[in-house]
Amino acid sequence: MHSQTDNRRWMLRPDVVSTVLNDGAVILDLRSKFFFSVNPTGWAIAQMFETGATRAEVHGACRKWGAADAGLPEIDALIDQMIAEGLVESVNTPAAAAGGVTVAAWVSPSLSKHREPLQRIMVSAFDPGLPLAE
Amino acid sequence: MTPAVTAQKPCTAAYSCGPVRLELTYDDPFLREALHGLLNQYDAPWPAPAASVQVTVESGTPPPKAAEPAGTYLRSHHLGVDRQGSRLLSFSRLGVWMELVPTSARARVMVPAHPDWPALVEDIEQQLVLLLVRAWAQQGWTPLHAGTLVPTGETRCVLLCAPSGAGKTTLVVALLRRGWRTLGDDKTLLRMEGNGVVARAVAHRFHLHPSSSRWFPEAGDLAVWPRYSRWTDKRVMHIEKVWPNRLLDRAIPAAVVKLERNPGGPALVVEPLDQIHTLNTLLRQVAIPSDAEHARPLVSCIAATAAHLRGVLIKIGNDAFANPLTAECLDGELRRMLP
Repeated sequence: MHSQTDNRRWMLRPDVVSTVLNDGAVILDLRSKFFFSVNPTGWAIAQMFETGATRAEVHGACRKWGAADAGLPEIDALIDQMIAEGLVESVNTPAAAAGGVTVAAWVSPSLSKHREPLQRIMVSAFDPGLPLAE
Repeated sequence: MTPAVTAQKPCTAAYSCGPVRLELTYDDPFLREALHGLLNQYDAPWPAPAASVQVTVESGTPPPKAAEPAGTYLRSHHLGVDRQGSRLLSFSRLGVWMELVPTSARARVMVPAHPDWPALVEDIEQQLVLLLVRAWAQQGWTPLHAGTLVPTGETRCVLLCAPSGAGKTTLVVALLRRGWRTLGDDKTLLRMEGNGVVARAVAHRFHLHPSSSRWFPEAGDLAVWPRYSRWTDKRVMHIEKVWPNRLLDRAIPAAVVKLERNPGGPALVVEPLDQIHTLNTLLRQVAIPSDAEHARPLVSCIAATAAHLRGVLIKIGNDAFANPLTAECLDGELRRMLP
């Protein structure tokens, strides 16, 4: 999807939860049970999708955080990955103010999908292990 | 076999299960007896429970309009659970139905007639485990399927993470013999307190396979202890009777071990884990529902825990504990994780 033609507003799906780590964050898709690591700049972008953002708004914020125009394809690639993984959905809500996201130093944003999802079917509500055949 | 049931007066029972007190009313005294083993296992001492949940366990079929949950909230081997507003509706494979309303601290369990009595009891147990897990979470506690080890004189603990059957209990016992202490072998509650995370014991009874007697001869014949469930040979054991003064109620998590069996490999392999794999290890020990409101506090607690922990992967070979050096090496490795 080219950024010039994508004017949609994207928002994290309601069943996607995220949590901050020392260096970036983890995003957990509760529907697929896959989780993803994002670096600090990827996390800054993901946070824009908590309230909803267009590509142009993300580009603008990234420029403020230090991204050069030559780095926009990497930003689009991350957004494309989030769309492809179903982490965000397009919404018709109006623009909302993103709350005070800051980036200490701009680096290329990254989103890494962990190979193994969490268990979808568990032993019990306490033990999330894989049930064994009886 | 289903015990013969005749008309009985309702009977009651109450259990303190960590921070939650369950007050149960049964219309069938056989059910009270059958569930005692499960509910009695949450024997770690706590201050006065923070919350009570009223549970009625009735013989009969679910209400006529009760739809069978599809498992959109959580699916386990026994249960499909859906959330409808503030209610959780859970249906077991044998038809045991539960409606849990956490906001009013009430639950209703309906138990149908079924020829396989032990399986029916197991399904009811699974419903009560779901109930407890949600009640603990409501009190801010994250249930973690992990054992714990605390060196002598320490208040910090190592969390032992592994699937059932991978050797958590064996490793805990191997180090209890060397003076370490524990909150338990596979059930721990975590909660964020101040800037840190605290771990609390909820069940002090161990589940140990009788074959471990060959490594721990002072335990005697483990087969004499009661069987944990019909699906496993493990026995429910009071470790204090063999290794006294080893049980603790509370500790501060400072390290995590991802434990794996290593059949055919060396007796002991130790490899460091980075932060993301440490988090991954912990997340895999929490039953996270597919509901963002309920999942978010659990994930946040685990992330906060992982942020403070050193992690290692430990692979243990077959029959490794036959050699006393294995426990000695593990003792050293785990102590190095708590500098």
